[in-house]
Amino acid sequence: MKILVLNCGSSSVKFQVIETSVEMIAANADRTLARGSVEKIGLSDSRLSLEVPGRKPYQEISEILEHRTAVERVLRVLCHPEHGVISSVAEIEAVGHRVVHGGEKFASSVLVTPEVEAGIEECVVLAPLHNPHNLRGLHAAKELLGNVPHVAVFDTAFHQSMPPRAFIYGLPYQLYRRHGIRRYGFHGTSHRFVAIHTARLLGRPLEETKIVTCHLGNGCSMAAVDRGHSVDTSMGFTPLEGLLMGTRAGDIDPAVLPWVMAMEELTLAQLNAMLNKHSGLYGVSGVSSDMREVLQARAEGNARADLAFQIFCYRVRKYLGAYAAAMEGIDAVTFTGGIGENSPEVREACLTGLEFLGIELDTEANRNVPRGEEVLVNKPGSRVAVAVIPTNEERVIARDTVRVLAGIMPSFAVPGNEAPR
Amino acid sequence: MSATELHHIAVVGGGMMGRSIATRVSQAGLSLVLKEINENRAAQVMGILEDSLERQIERWQLTKSEKKAILSRIEPTTDIQRIRDCQLVIETIQEDFEAKRALLHELDAVAGPQVPIIVNTSTLSITELAQGLANPERVLGMHFLYPVTTQPVVEVVRGQVTSDAAFELARTFARILGKVPIEVFESPGFVTTRVILPLINEAIHVVMEGVASAAEVDLAMKLGYEFRTGPLEWADRVGLQKILTWLEYLFQETGDPKFRPCPLLRKLVRAGHTGAAKGKGFFTYDAARNRLDRLPDDTPRVA
Repeated sequence: MKILVLNCGSSSVKFQVIETSVEMIAANADRTLARGSVEKIGLSDSRLSLEVPGRKPYQEISEILEHRTAVERVLRVLCHPEHGVISSVAEIEAVGHRVVHGGEKFASSVLVTPEVEAGIEECVVLAPLHNPHNLRGLHAAKELLGNVPHVAVFDTAFHQSMPPRAFIYGLPYQLYRRHGIRRYGFHGTSHRFVAIHTARLLGRPLEETKIVTCHLGNGCSMAAVDRGHSVDTSMGFTPLEGLLMGTRAGDIDPAVLPWVMAMEELTLAQLNAMLNKHSGLYGVSGVSSDMREVLQARAEGNARADLAFQIFCYRVRKYLGAYAAAMEGIDAVTFTGGIGENSPEVREACLTGLEFLGIELDTEANRNVPRGEEVLVNKPGSRVAVAVIPTNEERVIARDTVRVLAGIMPSFAVPGNEAPR
Repeated sequence: MSATELHHIAVVGGGMMGRSIATRVSQAGLSLVLKEINENRAAQVMGILEDSLERQIERWQLTKSEKKAILSRIEPTTDIQRIRDCQLVIETIQEDFEAKRALLHELDAVAGPQVPIIVNTSTLSITELAQGLANPERVLGMHFLYPVTTQPVVEVVRGQVTSDAAFELARTFARILGKVPIEVFESPGFVTTRVILPLINEAIHVVMEGVASAAEVDLAMKLGYEFRTGPLEWADRVGLQKILTWLEYLFQETGDPKFRPCPLLRKLVRAGHTGAAKGKGFFTYDAARNRLDRLPDDTPRVA
């Protein structure tokens, strides 16, 4: 069946049309028919782009002021006799939606019902910058596509398997009860996808494998995937915790925050912007939030760029060690995301010297990873496998849509892992 | 009109308030024309606006790409006709009744008849200003507090004949800007100005009577009542000329002696010591308006 996948941000809509089915999932044979995006929604020069395999990319610039219009244009271009890939919207049998935050409510991908919509609405308070846009896309698609089923796929759901010792912070317990302050974790769709594909690449059942997955992109997080379940992850209540990222600080001593606010006379908004937009690779290096530019500056002898690079990789190593201990063992380390897939320097710096853990990187193979392919870059005989797996969150969303409709979507919740009331 | 349909507006006047409003409007994703009286002034205004964005970057409030996006949505113009296709017009020229009235007549003639015209004022009567216009019901007041980029509140002021439609759109507009609208009926000084002015005026009296130094008055109020800025430094930052004008206006309107400007305020204004922008008021400031003469106890408190 043909599934439309929608990922709506504040001023953008990303989409894919994916042909998949229960059989195609089993054979790993699902196909992307088209992918594209609408950028700069709300402006007079919004850009819609469409890529169809084997064709020249197509673009149109026009005024698109809101998400509904954006989704409308996407459907129109998909049905276009020359540029499109379907003859009418009736060919779209279901829509899969990315939703950032599902809180503790959603431990699985679900069919959108009025109750589910209300649940997503309740989670707006946890992700005020994301869930409202996801909802906007959902409403637009429901309005424009009539009666097809809609499925919501949450970034947080995969991590709902974590035990309370991993997700409860050492704060007064009332804060968890009153405000849901706990670790939720993000990038769940990506961690899940690359864990499954790592096991497949190793030719081992996922249920018998301990994998540390590293999603290193603009946002970065790691997860300990123990026999298919996320048992810990580095992002927390928000996507700010954990690793150093492009412009995000990651782990810091929380006592620094009131101190900096007082000394610099900052408002809460300024503090938030500082932690989210002015820190990380950019804040430390002063060069860029883009790892490629940081690497370039480092190669030219920029000491702070080198430091930013080192902090970045050092944090990955710390979490790697922690997660190996948390799972009482490790069978594979997997890199994904823009940096994880494309930076041999980062992978090498993260793993060098970890032979004691059984990780032996094949530096030659690591430097020659073919773009877009799933490969192993460990030495033959390395106790721990090292994999590079291009992530594909849209494909997971399409597959989950099929699974939900077929009634075979599992829940990620692990019985017994509920926090005490 | 719903929030998503409001996307192009006009700001008339590029003074401190106009620039701050323009920045906030653009930050919220709306595009706008910023009307000034001549090319020179328009270019100057855009220059100052850019500098202030640069200062916000230094304070971690904005990123370089956000600055670029903000500037890309602001179009300076000198042509009043450019407001013809705007969905809302805000004037932000000086707090002068006759000047504002003359401008409103011009705006009323050019803007579409349903388009709300918002007067940015802290004291003037909306009803009086709108008298004699072809469409007085679309005129209302919004009193933004400075800096508009971070202040969370705005007073939305109904005149006697302001229509519900115009008022509702103004409230929607406030929400788009991320502000809490406080609904007020027309009355001199509305809420915020009327309540803060006697406090400032009293603080000046305390200094004049020699009860305590300006620095100690401010520090006592800051620590005692958790003000981010003491009342006198706050007055310096707004500008003492402006404080004097407001007080005189409220005194004249209400006849209430609590608004009679303290003689020390007049004295400072006459001497040209009008506040942070001039480097001297109750306190002294450097060119970037950082206060130079803080007391040793007036330091950030962590615990």
